Amino acid sequence: MNLLDRLRSLEQRRQRLAARAPAGPLRDYLQRPFPDPNGACAEAPFLALDLETTGLEPNRHAILSLGAVQMQGTEIRLASARHWLVRADTALEEANVVIHGLTDDALAAGLPLEQALSEVLRALAGRVLLAHHAEVEAGFLDAACRRVFGGGFLAPVADTQWIARRTLERSNRPYGANALRLFNLRKGYNLPAYGAHNALHDALAAAELFAAQLAERDQGAKPLRLKEFLRPF
Amino acid sequence: MEIELAEIRDFLASHPPFDRLPEEALNALPRALIVRYLRRGTPFPPQDAKGAALYVVRSGAVELRNEFDQLVDKFGEGDLYSASCSEANPEADFAGVTAEDSLFYLLSCKRFFELRRQHPEFDAHFGASLKARLRRALSSMQGEAGEAAGLMTIDAAHLVGRAPVHASPDTSIREAARLMTRERVSALLLCEGKQLAGILTDRDLRERCIAEGCDYAEPVGRIMSKRLVKVAPDTPAFEALMLMSRMNVHHLPVVGRDGVLGVISDTDLIRYQSSSSVYLVGDIHRAESPESVAALSRKLPELQIQLLNAGVAAEHLGQTISLIIEAINHRLIELALAELGPAPVPFAWLAVGSLARREQTAYTDQDHALLLGDAYQSAAHGDYFAQLAQRVADGLNACGFFYCPGGVMATTAKWRQPLHVWRGYFDKWISRPERKSLMLACNFFDVRVLYGETALFDQLRADLLQKTQDNRIFIAHLVANALHYRPPLGFFRNFVVIHGGEHDNALDLKRRGLIPTTDLARIYALAAGLHEIGTRERLRGAAEVSALSADGAEGLEDAFNFISSLRARHQAEQLKRGLAADNFIRPDDLSKLERAHLKDAFSAINGLQNTLSQRYQAERFF
Repeated sequence: MNLLDRLRSLEQRRQRLAARAPAGPLRDYLQRPFPDPNGACAEAPFLALDLETTGLEPNRHAILSLGAVQMQGTEIRLASARHWLVRADTALEEANVVIHGLTDDALAAGLPLEQALSEVLRALAGRVLLAHHAEVEAGFLDAACRRVFGGGFLAPVADTQWIARRTLERSNRPYGANALRLFNLRKGYNLPAYGAHNALHDALAAAELFAAQLAERDQGAKPLRLKEFLRPF
Repeated sequence: MEIELAEIRDFLASHPPFDRLPEEALNALPRALIVRYLRRGTPFPPQDAKGAALYVVRSGAVELRNEFDQLVDKFGEGDLYSASCSEANPEADFAGVTAEDSLFYLLSCKRFFELRRQHPEFDAHFGASLKARLRRALSSMQGEAGEAAGLMTIDAAHLVGRAPVHASPDTSIREAARLMTRERVSALLLCEGKQLAGILTDRDLRERCIAEGCDYAEPVGRIMSKRLVKVAPDTPAFEALMLMSRMNVHHLPVVGRDGVLGVISDTDLIRYQSSSSVYLVGDIHRAESPESVAALSRKLPELQIQLLNAGVAAEHLGQTISLIIEAINHRLIELALAELGPAPVPFAWLAVGSLARREQTAYTDQDHALLLGDAYQSAAHGDYFAQLAQRVADGLNACGFFYCPGGVMATTAKWRQPLHVWRGYFDKWISRPERKSLMLACNFFDVRVLYGETALFDQLRADLLQKTQDNRIFIAHLVANALHYRPPLGFFRNFVVIHGGEHDNALDLKRRGLIPTTDLARIYALAAGLHEIGTRERLRGAAEVSALSADGAEGLEDAFNFISSLRARHQAEQLKRGLAADNFIRPDDLSKLERAHLKDAFSAINGLQNTLSQRYQAERFF
């Protein structure tokens, strides 16, 4: 992010990117206004998203699967739950197969990246991207959009890990490296431990964690504003 | 194809009533849900809810409180809250609050009702009345008992195989013998009009005629048995069986209001069941010493296990075990009388409490009393009855029915008194009720004569019922006393939630389930002046005279049966493992469904406790 971008509002940056994007799913997505950052969090539309990838570097590694579920204010709507498997171009490294439980066979049955990406953008349009450790989601979506659609990606982002870190830092409490992991944060809010690990369950897990964070911050006095939870990118 | 949201599906699948849904409906269900998180201390259902919904607790806990801020329910993981979806549900009036940080799955009422319409098995969990749910729970508990239960479930009339073969007492002996041969019966009923005058059996012919060398032309009335042991058609078959065993007869006439229905022979009974309980009673009645009675009584635990394995309902189990214990009492008294000689004045040996109600299972302590005729003189007769009481009490103790720690035994001078003294006791209990004396007195309102002059006690009971009937002040005191034991609110994780929000680690089935029900039944019976002693009989009787609604009575009886069954099973498990039977069941040992049924049972009891409490404003007392 350059200095100029930092000074511009998210909305202005969206409009610039939309103007530059070639016609197609990316431009359609960018043409939809982002939710009003001054609006009430309890009414705001979110899309909890999780990506499983072959590694951590967006320009070297590939997206294997995506999971998403809509959240409207404090309600997570399971009817909107989606899970996309992406057809792999290269054989999977063994380590990731173990973690994600995805096999080459399963991925061969998946969608081409372009189709999966189009559907994700359509689901995300007009919503806040909600993820745990959102660098992965934002970074991989940006790289994929540039590669597939020839333009940059942008979204307002609520990052449950970032929110947790901010809360811990504000309280001046020391915390261990593991404290910010999704599993440990969920435990602190009395959320159940999920055994399944795939993009959809992790997206759901992040959404539930966010619901808990919202509830924690909600003192009932005045409505929480969306911008209080948006992570600057 | 993989199941999306498998975590949620699996969670639902492991909790009733979702476990009743077919695979397809279950797989589709997660997509119909909304997930919400409520922090501890949030009003429940949440005030910002977009619409009424069924709530499933995924993690955390909720407490419901009534208008007086008393805890009425607490529920956690896997529990449902459906009150928002039904207008009539009284739970909807309770104020809820999350007791922990909680995650919920919400299903819209519309989808909820669709599911119920489409899946009757699922619907049964909600739609049915408390009564219907308990009924189903009971029948599933007893399983396919049917045949095995046999004599436990039918009455004497069912055992009568054919129309009775009868003749007039004027018939000649030869003619009677020919008739028996022709009809292939071993017993002939001799009737005067509709009246049964006597019975003639093969044995009578042999012993009283052939062996005596009598004239076959004589009327059969001269050799027939006139001392008749007979039963009413609605006598439970097993009771008839025990009577035959006790009286050592092989033929038992069944006599109804309109005359003789027929004869039960011991072969009829064996056709139904070779019941070890019957043989045990027979053996007890033939025992020659208190020691051999004690040896026989050791078969009781094994018998209880057998009966339960055979699928016998708790109701019949209690009756059977009680009848055997009655037989033990009976025989011990007979043996004592044989040694002490005949009693100098008439007396009635009284069973007190659960044995009197015929609701005893396994071993408890002994409770009994002696009612003596008013001709009793303590100087002249005191020693005799003290010895009688001592012998029987010692005998019972040797059988494993230990001395009553509260001294409710005929060995206690206070409970071994002539009629006029007993009258005085009941007068005082009824007209000047006090908390402490009333708890004791409740025992003596459940009394049955086990031996001796039934008429002695009948007088006493008629008088006392007249005094209790419609006696508001006395009944109000009884109600206040009964409210001492409240059923729990339900279960929360591995705890029993009791009134006031406290948690117990174990459920005391007796104090928190059976005693409250027994107390309620006694109140209704005394208030309506009913003679019945058993809890079930009292409830049915109360419903018959409209002292209690038929629904209320049935609900309470079902609750009583369900809790009794659970206790019986629990005790059988303990007996099998060689442990002493107790009344404490741990929530871990209950299935989710049993917990739900228990909760229904508790709420049936609680409902009637509240009704009585309001009707008699019982809080004002004590």
